[in-house]
Amino acid sequence: MAKSDNVRVVSDPYTKPLPNIDLDNQPFWDGLREHKFLLFRCKICGAHYWPKAYCRFHDNEPFMGNLEWTEASGKGKIFAFNIHHWPLHPGFKDDVPYVYALIELDEGPLISSNVVDIDPREVRIGMPVEILYEDHPNEGFTLPKFRPARE
Amino acid sequence: MTASRKYAIVGLGVVAGPQPQRTRRQVAAEAVRRAIADAGLKREDIDGAIELVRGAGAGERAAYADPFPRILALPINFFFTVERGGALAALGIAAAMSFLDRRIASHIALCGVVDDWTRAQENKAKGFRGMVHIEKEGAWGRPLGDLRAFSHHSWMASRHMAEYGTTSRQLGAIAVAARAWACKNPEAKMYGRPMTIEDHQNSPLVVEPYRLLDLCLISDGAVAFIMTTAERARDLKKPPVYVLGQGFGEIIRELWWEKKNYTSMAVKTAKEQAFREAGVELKDVKCAELYDCFTGEVLFQLEDYGWCGKGEGGPFVESGAIGPGGSIPVNTGGGLLSCYHLADLTGFAEAVRQLRGEAGERQIPGCDIAMSTGHGGELLAPGMCSIHSCTLLGR
Repeated sequence: MAKSDNVRVVSDPYTKPLPNIDLDNQPFWDGLREHKFLLFRCKICGAHYWPKAYCRFHDNEPFMGNLEWTEASGKGKIFAFNIHHWPLHPGFKDDVPYVYALIELDEGPLISSNVVDIDPREVRIGMPVEILYEDHPNEGFTLPKFRPARE
Repeated sequence: MTASRKYAIVGLGVVAGPQPQRTRRQVAAEAVRRAIADAGLKREDIDGAIELVRGAGAGERAAYADPFPRILALPINFFFTVERGGALAALGIAAAMSFLDRRIASHIALCGVVDDWTRAQENKAKGFRGMVHIEKEGAWGRPLGDLRAFSHHSWMASRHMAEYGTTSRQLGAIAVAARAWACKNPEAKMYGRPMTIEDHQNSPLVVEPYRLLDLCLISDGAVAFIMTTAERARDLKKPPVYVLGQGFGEIIRELWWEKKNYTSMAVKTAKEQAFREAGVELKDVKCAELYDCFTGEVLFQLEDYGWCGKGEGGPFVESGAIGPGGSIPVNTGGGLLSCYHLADLTGFAEAVRQLRGEAGERQIPGCDIAMSTGHGGELLAPGMCSIHSCTLLGR
């Protein structure tokens, strides 16, 4: 399967809110742009965190010294989801109804994103999903979206 | 060494309903003026002031520019802001008790004010809906259509439905109960507008599984109250409402790690602390003012506090347990769903009125102990409404 299979390029004018890219999560967003899905991992026990956190189980001296951003599977299951029927923000008026889900990643953490490439009526809790990189080349960032897993 | 019954709420001032012609600070000043008068006090008696702000944990800034103590010329020694999601009344009470205990102040005015309804009308004209003005730039998920409260709380409902088989109709029973109470409260936005379960089921899906009638109101208004010591309270105009106990909990402690924060709130420590301090039990609570930003939150709290078992909230509310005539009256003024939305100040104000016997047609007979909870303070994606507060009040 070609790498580009899980990439979608969107060149339309961007009318939605911009992502929050700051010092804490810059590596995560840099990874997305390279089509890598990174999680913050404890080198001692392997616990994964998202967003970035101090390991609950270990001292991390110096501060967060035992943790690193590492490439993860980009796979998980739908933990909870909703279907937005009202676009409270005008940037989403062409998107409704859209699915916004909590995804329980195979490594453990929960992350929220849209589940696309599926009729919202077909979405179920527990459904396996995988990462879909949505590139916005004009804006210079990639959004992590999810779609039903392809075996 | 307990603080129980040592401090009291002695004055209450409420301004409810749309206030498009007045600024927030003028509405706040009016509510504080009413609270001072309600207590039978004079402005000169107020020597401390606390503004209560429904900010998210991520840190909205307070509106210090022109605070009510200046407008009302209160001779205060301190003024500051308590800010945290929907637990601002509870945190304000805790702060005020410390200042009273240390004799830094004798009578403290606390006030929370919102202009969300007016702001929402302005937002609508720009193509937005709801409370986008409180959405912070940069929070995770905004490019993905994350609309914060709507998006996160509907996940909770979906998760509860999946784990326990809860239905939309059962959630609707909570909205119907709140409306039945509101129809007994002339101050409620929905007074005179009764609602059936069919109305709920026929209301549009907004953020599925939530329908329009699962969502709280967007309001303008202010709630102010005056706190003093039990000794001073005895000589004032209105019957004192004593703080019996308080407790707090945070989802960021462990519930998030256990992934249980979508079907439960951080009730455990809050309940233990508050009931221990008050020296009472759950069965002693005559009315429960439970934070109801959405219908699901009421369900979670009924279960987490133990009025019913975990997962049994749906059948419990469907039985009519929380409405007028039910076994545990919940949100007796109509709550955030049908009265007005001033965070936990809505339920707090109602608890004070019930304990004073001022609740008119909706008065709970023999109401001597009331409970008011707070919830919210979205901290961090994904969807953590972390804080929970429990305040037990008594006469």
